[in-house]
Amino acid sequence: MQADRDQQCQPVVPGIFRASSGGQGLELVGGHCPACHRYYFPRPPRCPYCLGQVEEQGLGATGTLYTYTVVRVRPPYGLPSPYALGYVDLDGNGLRVLGLLAPESLDKLEIGMRLRLAVGQLGCDVGGAPCLRPYFEPAPPHPSQGMQPDV
Amino acid sequence: MSDVYLAGVGMIPFRVHKERILVDMAGEAAALALQDSGIDPGRVDMGFFASATTAVLYKDVTVGQNVYWQLGINRIPIFNVENACTSGSTGIYLACNAIAAGQAEVAMVVGGEKMCVPEMGLLNSGATELDTQLGLVTPASFAMRAARHMAEFGTTLEQMAAVAVKNRRHAALNPMAQFSKPISAEDVLASPPIADPLTRLQCCPIADGAAAVVLCSSRVAKETAGALRVRAWAYCTGDYQNPQDMARWGTDYRTCAKAYELAGLKPGDLDLVECHDAFTIAEILHYEALGLCEPGQGGRLAAEGQTALGGPIPVNPSGGLLSRGHPPGATGLAQVWELAVQLRHQAGPRQVPGASVGLAHCMGGDKDGDSKSCTVIILTN
Ligand SMILES: [Zn+2]
Repeated sequence: MQADRDQQCQPVVPGIFRASSGGQGLELVGGHCPACHRYYFPRPPRCPYCLGQVEEQGLGATGTLYTYTVVRVRPPYGLPSPYALGYVDLDGNGLRVLGLLAPESLDKLEIGMRLRLAVGQLGCDVGGAPCLRPYFEPAPPHPSQGMQPDV
Repeated sequence: MSDVYLAGVGMIPFRVHKERILVDMAGEAAALALQDSGIDPGRVDMGFFASATTAVLYKDVTVGQNVYWQLGINRIPIFNVENACTSGSTGIYLACNAIAAGQAEVAMVVGGEKMCVPEMGLLNSGATELDTQLGLVTPASFAMRAARHMAEFGTTLEQMAAVAVKNRRHAALNPMAQFSKPISAEDVLASPPIADPLTRLQCCPIADGAAAVVLCSSRVAKETAGALRVRAWAYCTGDYQNPQDMARWGTDYRTCAKAYELAGLKPGDLDLVECHDAFTIAEILHYEALGLCEPGQGGRLAAEGQTALGGPIPVNPSGGLLSRGHPPGATGLAQVWELAVQLRHQAGPRQVPGASVGLAHCMGGDKDGDSKSCTVIILTN
């Protein structure tokens, strides 16, 4: 386990995911505008549609892969080479978000596959220090068998 | 509102210009454009200078004033424009507005980059953006569009390769192209992988270079031989809606529709297109947004040769960004350079016979799965 090392690392950007102690209940964190009923990731300082306040909102941990690529040129921020990126359709809120995909899943990727959120030390921050990044890893095909987001 | 005309174009070949500095390259392109227009530099009453990377790479700002003073142009309003890959075409948009509004009789746009230096990594959406920090680089954005287009429409690797093969074939007829050696679909697909499914020969290289255009009012155009009418200049930023449809680019469709509306023209009226083929899949997406084919049919259009010279609607007769290289400040101007040469029927072996309507399309920046800017310019002779 790399949990010890992870604890010393900071998230690449603060406030974009959260987990209760022990790693349970890991989820992406974004925003929700109560006036427009729109969800955001990441959370914007105000709602671009009504300019109202955007509340912090858990966005769950599961979704479906909309599209992806494996990047084979020299990676930025010390990411593994090659590394994979995808757009993920999150369950429950309609958001399509960019995310890293698990380094060990590169040969298993397929549009439409089920994914769940993970967090680990992946690459470095802008200052070159190792940091935590959220990423998505393959999940069981039936949502009922996976972790259910609480949205 | 005055009509707007294109009076002159100038360009230096896009290459790795190791020994040259940006201001000199831009000054040379500007001098060529003025010479081509036959308009005295003293009549230029507004100037735009476009560059996407200069401030980042050299911490050099307000470069435009230096470029214009090389030509003895001073005292007039000069604007420095940065708008990612559409920096040059955004300059044209602004210059056209100024002339249409009567704020200028003669306006120039000069653009260039000196970006073939080790400090230049892959283009991204901006260092502070979350997407960038999650590893998004520009080729990856287009690779993900390609993957989605393949999944939804059955677009094939061979169809994407056909775009690169076609543009390289056109480039062989263009002395201004940087890469003119013919390539096969096998070469394209066997070139080193960049971001799956895109290989190196499907991604435009960066380049050093500069280009310039001189625009003028109808009054000045009357005294200027060979002036071309600018029938439309359209510029849209992204809508940033979530979710974005990555196989049908809304911002691309919206900008093209606006340009057709402004010009009172339709896709069938076009004789040629220079479009932003930064990646093979991009050209395919642009065919669809431009209405050259039905959504999803862009790959087939390329593979059938319909967009090749000799086909019904030649796209990128210059060889495009894929063959020219891409210095963003100059790219939109280089596209208009090609339209000018074609509409004056001076394109030699790559001439589109009888060309009278040409369209230049440019797209840049990346935000929330959308583009930050898209420009379309339509010229007629
Ligand atoms: Zn709102």
